[in-house]
Amino acid sequence: MSDQSGRKISRRKFVKVTGTAVAAAGLTSAFLFPEKALAQQKTLKIVQWSHFVPGYDKWFDGVFTKEWGAKHNTNVIVDHIAIGEINARAAAEVSAKKGHDLFMFLSPPAAYEHQVLDHRDVYEEVKTKHGSPIDLAVKSTYNPKTKKFFAFSDSYVPDPGNYRQDLWSQVGYPHGPDTWEQLLDGGRKIRKDPKLGNPVGIGLSQELDTNMAMRALLWSFGGSVQDANGNVALNSKHTLDAVKFMRELYRETETPEVFSWDPSSNNRGILAGKLSYVANAISVTRSAEKDNPEMSKQIQLRPALKGPVRRIASEHVMDCYVIWDFAENKEGAKQFLVDLINDFETAFKASEFYNFPCFPPTVPNIKTLLGSDPKAVPSDKYAILGDVLSWATNIGYPGYATAAIDEVFNTFVIPTMFAKAARDEMTPEAAVKAADQECRRIFGKWK
Amino acid sequence: MFMPAILYIVALVGVPFVMAFVYSVSDAKVGSVHYHFVGLKNFIDILHNPTFIRSLENSFLFTISSQILVLIGSTILALALRDAFPGRRFLRFLILLPWVAPVSIGSLGWKWILDSLYSVITWVLVRMHLVNQFDAPMWLGEPKLAMMSVILVHTWHMMPFATVILLAGLTAIPSEIPEAAAVDGAGFFRTLFQITIPMMLPIINVAVLFGAIFTFTDMTVIYILTRGGPYDTTQVIPSEAFFTGILGSDLAEGAAISIFLVPVLVIAAYLALRSAHRAEVT
Repeated sequence: MSDQSGRKISRRKFVKVTGTAVAAAGLTSAFLFPEKALAQQKTLKIVQWSHFVPGYDKWFDGVFTKEWGAKHNTNVIVDHIAIGEINARAAAEVSAKKGHDLFMFLSPPAAYEHQVLDHRDVYEEVKTKHGSPIDLAVKSTYNPKTKKFFAFSDSYVPDPGNYRQDLWSQVGYPHGPDTWEQLLDGGRKIRKDPKLGNPVGIGLSQELDTNMAMRALLWSFGGSVQDANGNVALNSKHTLDAVKFMRELYRETETPEVFSWDPSSNNRGILAGKLSYVANAISVTRSAEKDNPEMSKQIQLRPALKGPVRRIASEHVMDCYVIWDFAENKEGAKQFLVDLINDFETAFKASEFYNFPCFPPTVPNIKTLLGSDPKAVPSDKYAILGDVLSWATNIGYPGYATAAIDEVFNTFVIPTMFAKAARDEMTPEAAVKAADQECRRIFGKWK
Repeated sequence: MFMPAILYIVALVGVPFVMAFVYSVSDAKVGSVHYHFVGLKNFIDILHNPTFIRSLENSFLFTISSQILVLIGSTILALALRDAFPGRRFLRFLILLPWVAPVSIGSLGWKWILDSLYSVITWVLVRMHLVNQFDAPMWLGEPKLAMMSVILVHTWHMMPFATVILLAGLTAIPSEIPEAAAVDGAGFFRTLFQITIPMMLPIINVAVLFGAIFTFTDMTVIYILTRGGPYDTTQVIPSEAFFTGILGSDLAEGAAISIFLVPVLVIAAYLALRSAHRAEVT
């Protein structure tokens, strides 16, 4: 009996012992296997460039993703890579079928169409709240043949002209050049002036800024790589006129340094006081405001230069997020993009007006913000960007950004055409013909 | 015992090489999901591409020029470092640095030295009133100067490797031979050209052939300094393959470009190994 009573366990004691045991087991396993404790928490991996404006990454990594992660019980991991590594990294992830859930390109990644989700539902979701995306975003992320959105673009970066007001005032252009002809005329006067001598800084190298500037010149003279239907259309009188113009512009206003540039060379050149005009994003003026306030007062902005046919320029950078087919957290990635657009006004401010919205209603007071920037001298320096969509277009204009356009862009066919003619390596006619043949060869591969 | 080495070679050399070959006879793009065999189409296509032809010519020019300079420079350095003198060890260490340091870091340093705006060479020339500030030589912007620059920087990088090899060969020559030649009245150059260099020929072959293979297959210096510019005038086969295959997204054509020189490199590698074997025997 006593044995029996000794073995008896009261209900209270049973609950106490088992409860303690369960708690102990739980605590121990949580201590030893923390990943199991966080089993419910998801992970979202993002890779994107190291933004030119450090404040943007600070906000994106330290505030937005943290808050988003807490709200969605997700551990958001953001990796940053240099611009030059983006394509190689993307190729590696696709090859391994493993990597990040969200991958950000800085140009339309049409070549990866078969490896990504159709981003239509992200666009549709955002559209319900903020209206349709701008044409520039659609033309950069949509394949009209397959009817697939191969990327989602949250923003783009304008590519205005940056000119030294003190220099241009001395040659009769106090507000800078408005047309390509004025750039040639004023640039020549500055260059030939023995007291000045500053060259123009339109690149002719195998790099991003040259790619953009040469397309702006080509389009404003009426030429283009392809027509609206995606057929090669480079070999035209308009293209020839643009090439001849660039040859003259180089000879009259520039130095051979433009053949050796990387994307930051024109920034450095104008900030160092050497160049009179460059085509670049507002990285130039933002750098000046931070590091060289005196020079900042002299460097002013102009819209894209007007050519004989139109006023037009490419976007400088096109932010294009893709969700890989093999992404592990597809739904989280989609939701993240939707929420990024919902908070885009903060993103716009954090980027110091570098990233412009692909859904304009997300920044309803954009013109007011651009017209009264506390860092700018004068404070309305950035106001000219208020109508950027009237002159900014996509790579591939007047058609869509296709894989063939992407290869033409990344193998620098257009800068090479202009450069060879500028240096008399080829006649303008021969340079245009050679570039046209190369474009046809590339387009042929992607059909 | 050799298994780790074999695994390493298979994983990091064998597999990529086989994949490059497989891609080169396909229409693979970076985003392809299917494989289509196209035979030799990519090889025929690249032969019609003027940029590829230029890259091929540049590869030979870049390799041959830099190896001639490496050979001359490393022979002089090896001879200078052969005999003992105070500080020889330290000097050897300094000379070895360009080879030991990552080539990308060295090339970045040279990029700034040759920069259009901040070039220290140009700065000196301007201060000496030898050139005008706005018309200074563009070391990386003029086709000939750019090619010269990349060749010299690559020579700077490769010379220590050749110097170390030649130094080893030089110290292996029995001292009695040049001493006997000196007794017989042979001067420095006679001894150099009729005794030292002929005796070192197998080891020189090793240095040159290994250097040539490294140079043919390397794009770091060119990618960092010129990215193949101005207008493809410094483009070489490896950089053209990278631009086409990775940046241009055409994996198949990039692969075809990259393995175009494999037959040449295989012969060079065979000769290098044969020379190495002969050098070992002697």
